Amino acid sequence: MTDKSSDLVQGTLDMLILKTLALEPMHGWGVAVRIEQISKGVFRVNAGSLFVAFQRLQRAGLIKSEWKATENNRRAKYYILTEQGRKTLSSETREWERQVAAIARILEAS
Amino acid sequence: MSLLRAITSGLRALFHKKRVAQELDEELHGFQEMAVEEKIKQELSREQALRAVRLEHGSTESTKEQVRSANWETLLETCWQDLRFALRTLRKSPGFTVVAVLTLGLGIGATTAIFCVMNSVLLKPLAMQDPGRVVYVQEQWHGLFPGLSIGNYSDVRAQNTSFAKLGASHNGSFNLATQSRPERVEGEYVTADYFETFGVHPVLGRVFSTEEDRPGRGQVVVLSERLWRTRFRADRAIVGNTVRINGTPYTVVGVMPNSFDPLLSKTDLWTPAGFTAEQLANHDDHFLDVIGRLKPEISREQAQSELNVIANRLQRQYPSDDKDRGLRLVLLSTALLGDQRLALGMLLAAVAFLLLIACANIANLQLARSRMRQREIAVRAALGASPKRIIRQLLTENMALGLAGGAFGVLLAYAGVKEIVTFGPAEVPRLAETQIDATALTFSCTIALLASVLFGLVPALRSASTQLTETIKVGIGTSSGSRDRFRSLLVVGEFALALFLMTGAGLLIRSGLLVAHVDPGFDTANLLVGRISLPDPSFHDPAAARRTFESIMAAAGSLPGVLESAIVSRAPLAGGASSNGIIAEGQAIDPSNALNAQIQIVSPSYLSTVRIPLKVGRDFTVLDTRDAGLVAIVNETLARTLWPDANAIGKRFACCEPGPKGGQDPAWHEIVGVVADVRAWGLDQQVQPQFYVPIAQMPPSSWDWVGRTMDLTVRTRSDVISRGALQSAVDSVAPGVPIYQLSTMTQKIAGKLERSHFDTFLLTLFAAAALLLSSVGIYGVMSFVVTQRRRDIGIRMALGATRERILRDVLRQGMKLTVAGLVVGLAGALLGMQFLDSLLYGVQSSDPATFAIVCLVLCATATLASYVPARRATRVDPMVTLRHE
Repeated sequence: MTDKSSDLVQGTLDMLILKTLALEPMHGWGVAVRIEQISKGVFRVNAGSLFVAFQRLQRAGLIKSEWKATENNRRAKYYILTEQGRKTLSSETREWERQVAAIARILEAS
Repeated sequence: MSLLRAITSGLRALFHKKRVAQELDEELHGFQEMAVEEKIKQELSREQALRAVRLEHGSTESTKEQVRSANWETLLETCWQDLRFALRTLRKSPGFTVVAVLTLGLGIGATTAIFCVMNSVLLKPLAMQDPGRVVYVQEQWHGLFPGLSIGNYSDVRAQNTSFAKLGASHNGSFNLATQSRPERVEGEYVTADYFETFGVHPVLGRVFSTEEDRPGRGQVVVLSERLWRTRFRADRAIVGNTVRINGTPYTVVGVMPNSFDPLLSKTDLWTPAGFTAEQLANHDDHFLDVIGRLKPEISREQAQSELNVIANRLQRQYPSDDKDRGLRLVLLSTALLGDQRLALGMLLAAVAFLLLIACANIANLQLARSRMRQREIAVRAALGASPKRIIRQLLTENMALGLAGGAFGVLLAYAGVKEIVTFGPAEVPRLAETQIDATALTFSCTIALLASVLFGLVPALRSASTQLTETIKVGIGTSSGSRDRFRSLLVVGEFALALFLMTGAGLLIRSGLLVAHVDPGFDTANLLVGRISLPDPSFHDPAAARRTFESIMAAAGSLPGVLESAIVSRAPLAGGASSNGIIAEGQAIDPSNALNAQIQIVSPSYLSTVRIPLKVGRDFTVLDTRDAGLVAIVNETLARTLWPDANAIGKRFACCEPGPKGGQDPAWHEIVGVVADVRAWGLDQQVQPQFYVPIAQMPPSSWDWVGRTMDLTVRTRSDVISRGALQSAVDSVAPGVPIYQLSTMTQKIAGKLERSHFDTFLLTLFAAAALLLSSVGIYGVMSFVVTQRRRDIGIRMALGATRERILRDVLRQGMKLTVAGLVVGLAGALLGMQFLDSLLYGVQSSDPATFAIVCLVLCATATLASYVPARRATRVDPMVTLRHE
């Protein structure tokens, strides 16, 4: 079991989830797969961390959920980005980019 | 916003626990299924796929746990679980729980209630601005501390530089006319700066101006809030209106708040003193209450030394009136409440002792219990409970215990204060104002709960450090380690403290009983006393005043059921009597030769009505008038003091008024009789020299000393005679004059006893609580000893020990602790009780009888308390205990 998500910077998982959900509403498994695929397998999210994060985001009002049928006709809980979540995502993305740029500059300088 | 959502969703999770859990379950199941399907696509069997998913993501159960533990409501839930577990544990050992809650409750409740009463009566500052600077000024003459004469007051006021304000007051008789019936109210004549001296402002209107404090101007009155509310229905329009007092109209200018009772005299109205020029020149009548407020920069010592200088000046200036006369000041609170340091120290020590006993009890119970639980805790630790979790659990348990005990304690404190106020001595000042003090309650709660929680945590802390396997292996053994010794020490200490408290209370009670059996010197049964004040302007003429009192006496005497009636200036135990310097014939007529004696002005029927035995000589008759020679009857103390070796009959002394030639010419009174001593000031008070003068011979000026106020005493066939009957007798002679302070002599004695034994009353409560708590203590320890030794007892019984033998052994162990406690306590009490000497009457502080009784009571209680567990020990079934492990 490789839990790369523990290597994630604190709070990054939340941002990745929000980003994934920004594309379209998705269920838990879908989110996990999407993160793994897009990161080309760098980040693997385990179920525990993922569902704790869902609960946290939902309580913070950034996402909401509803039960729907999947394409395979299975009942699953879909998570949907809220308006507030969208705003948070864009501000966090900006902040992230600012930090990454700053870190990159420091690394290039040395 | 998000906090609110966190709370609502948390609450949802709490209240729809099942549904939320189901949803999570379903979601995770779906997640797993999808993951498995994905794996199956990678050509794994279903079994293998499931295994792989579990390896990657953990089991759904652990995921659920992870999600759940991220929530705040889960913490709440485990706390709730802890609490439920705690309650279950406590319910499972009801003995421990009940005893612990009782101890905590008694400790907290009793100490708080008694402390609050003390606080209200003795500790609380007087209700005035900066009471530490308000002093009471007195004269000092031959070991007596009378009030100031008006002349001296006015000189001190003019000459001093120490006081910011110096006010004076004296009591007066005020008959207030109301719609229904005339009413006697306590009032004072005060100077204009009297109110400012205390720095208290009226709730309505104003106080007097200096202008109104002039002779002839003072037809104004300030009412107390109490009088205003009860008699004038709190009518705000009263200010500016007139009320009739002593038959004269007075304008109401203000109302003082209820808290304003600076001399604790329950004063209901104040009118200006308005001293006349004649009064201001009088240096001879010493009766003024003088109260001063010290300037901020002046200390009491500085003020006292200035008073000494002024006193010297007065002595030189008025040699006849102020010879040997000094001035002194005391803090007003000391003057009013007495020097309470000793009593206060005693009661505070008692509070501390009781709290200590309660804490020792709690510690003891907890330690005993911790021994029993060590194994349980070790098992839980072995099963993986972290020390943090175990401590949290024990903490919850002790908190629950503490809360129950605390709640019981608070209830007890409230009930206790209510009972003490209701049944406590009625005459104790400020007792009725007692309230539960939050600080005191918090203090005793904190101490008791700390003791409980601290000792309750001992097993948890121990479990963190001990070898688990050792503890589990030892089990409920037979060992008695150092902790048992510590617990025995606690019990010994408790008994020592209880003995200390009980001897203190015992001595005071014995002293009180002795006082109650003191012969007052007259027959107190079926004797009624009431006071009558004739208003000054209408009864100014001495002859008229005398005639009125004699007619009232006659009217009362002819009431049905009345055997005899009499008039006396101040009946015994009715408080306050005039005193006079008397000089025996043969000595120089000089104030320094004067013996201070109490004067009683009486009708000829007085001695026979009150039944004071005549020792030698004759009683007064109606023929003893001012036309005949002046006569007097003296008490044995006076006779013995002035004529130790001779018969006092026929001897003469000078007193009370100038003789026929005026000035220094003595007025001689011939002694015609000697009567038994009467304890006029209280049963435990020293008898003063006293002399009686017939009302028909009283000096005309003495009507002013006694304020035209006399006591009517009535001997009845039985106690039942109505207040209305006596009032109508008064009304038939002097309409509109009330009779007040009406009570039987037995009631007056009871009142005096109660008042002087307030300390005894409180200490007795302490002692009772201490006895109860330490019995609980020994019961607790013996119970646990027995439970712990079940196995020993079982083995011994199996080996043939009889039940009696076991019983005796357990009892002996209890007795050993008791006796050790008694020995320590006795040593302490013998030393400590010396401080009580000055509070005791007729008992030594080392009174063997008291000590013996207290020891007996303690021993008996301890035996009883250890008998119950000892009985339980004998019921041990050897087979059961031996099989137990």
